[in-house]
Amino acid sequence: MTETVTAAPEAVAKSQWILDLIPAESPLGRIFTIDTALKLTRVGISIVLGLLFVGLIMTVLKRITRKRLNARSGSLVVKLAQYLGFALIAINTLEAAEIDLSALLGAAGIAGVALGFAAQTSVSNFISGFFLMSEKTFTVGDVVTVDTTTGVVYSIDALSVKLRTFDNQLVRIPNETLIKTNVTNVTRFETRRLNVKITITHATDIEKARVLLFEAAEATEIVLRQPEPLFMIQGIGKDGVDLLFGVWLTNDDWVSGNNDIYAGIQKRFRAAGIEFAHATMTVYEKKAREPSVAGRSS
Amino acid sequence: MWEQYEVPRSEGTRIHRIGSMLICVAVEMAGEGDLLSAMPMYDAALSLKKTTRKNVVSSVTLPPLDDPVWYKFFIDSSKHYELLPGYPQIPVCVRLKEAFSLPPGADLKGWIFSRIEARILVSGVELVSFPLAKPHKTLYGTPETGVICRYDEAQFLTSSEPMFESMLTDPGLVAHPVRLRNTSSTAVRVTELCIYGEQLSIFWTGARMQSERLSFVFGSSGVRMSLDGQGSLSPDWTTIAKPRVSGEERFIERSFELFKAMTRL
Repeated sequence: MTETVTAAPEAVAKSQWILDLIPAESPLGRIFTIDTALKLTRVGISIVLGLLFVGLIMTVLKRITRKRLNARSGSLVVKLAQYLGFALIAINTLEAAEIDLSALLGAAGIAGVALGFAAQTSVSNFISGFFLMSEKTFTVGDVVTVDTTTGVVYSIDALSVKLRTFDNQLVRIPNETLIKTNVTNVTRFETRRLNVKITITHATDIEKARVLLFEAAEATEIVLRQPEPLFMIQGIGKDGVDLLFGVWLTNDDWVSGNNDIYAGIQKRFRAAGIEFAHATMTVYEKKAREPSVAGRSS
Repeated sequence: MWEQYEVPRSEGTRIHRIGSMLICVAVEMAGEGDLLSAMPMYDAALSLKKTTRKNVVSSVTLPPLDDPVWYKFFIDSSKHYELLPGYPQIPVCVRLKEAFSLPPGADLKGWIFSRIEARILVSGVELVSFPLAKPHKTLYGTPETGVICRYDEAQFLTSSEPMFESMLTDPGLVAHPVRLRNTSSTAVRVTELCIYGEQLSIFWTGARMQSERLSFVFGSSGVRMSLDGQGSLSPDWTTIAKPRVSGEERFIERSFELFKAMTRL
């Protein structure tokens, strides 16, 4: 004995009109099937949920890195997580669309090679960013010199480092360049030595000059008392005696320290009658011998 | 000297003389409130040694109130301001006039003096703080890991009580009872002592100031400053300045700074 169950005739009738709208035999009908609609829904859901999930992870990561890492490391970790998240969304979406990924892998390999060539510089910069991060040469707010550019580190990103120069220009330096060239971190330590190089005339009493230099340092409030200033005779040149006078300043007082110490030295030297030596050349004039006429016979 | 004063609304510029420096305070009207102007003078005080208190104002040539040397603050309609002592924001490195050697295991008690700053407060809020002598900076430690400090010079006194006569001639000095211990296995040459004023109080008798006892332990890994109790205080001492941070807070902060410096994170 068989029992026939008639399932919800009204529901069948309701969904049937959709299928009737697009005939199954038509080209559009062959594409727009219930199966396609379900796939599209799955794809949409996987994208939306994936984006929400990645967004959530990013927010949490940003909060964690802001507290525990410096701006540069934090930014790189967040960027890496973002790229990984997007890659996962893409794979998940393709799976939801029931696209055979193995077929894509071959194409991805070829595309990868092409993309590798195209994105060589970007990838190199990205990887260089990690090396820079591990070296910890500088951080946001440090004053650095790269080649001939000096500025405050404005931001450290995945591909480049941005410097704000002292005349308020933004300079973008690729991470790869920073790996290849010499980078000087000017403000890595809290104190710096200002090297004042002066040349005094040979006639000047060196001891007198030394005393005046130390007086100038003593009178400048922002010159550090310790470490003590350095005085060194660097050589006796053709123009005069080369002196090096090094005074220590904090990074905060660097500009005013330069102004005060140079002005103080000049004022004291001028008052003591000490002259700075300039490039000089002694020229000897040799008189030409006049032709002798004596003894000439006509 | 360290007390509350009425805002000088009708008497021109008021001059506080503290040791070898002057603090000038004046008031200007600014809308419905007032602007309090304050300025330190370091050199003028030297020429005023024999001038009486009343003649100080007339003897000093003050710049006009629109000169940028004046520090200006809107004080609304407050009627009083306070002049209180305080330690500098940065540590003070006291260079000893006579350095000495501390043998291993030594435990030495003595005194040093350091110079404080004069703070001006209105309604309990600090407006400005002036050093009582022209401030000089120094580095305590090496250029790589040193700490930037205020420079000061003092003699290490090994007497059981500080010589307060020197404080009476300079009211800007605070006495620190000090205990030095050498826990290392070698002799240590003591040339300077670094004081973190933010951890210290100032006790006041009306004529002289004193802080808690400071302990400096010279170990194999360096020097460590900590508080070693209050020292001997008679009942007439009052606390005129409280520590800004506790020793524990300072320790955690320093440890974190050290960690950051080491890891560059």
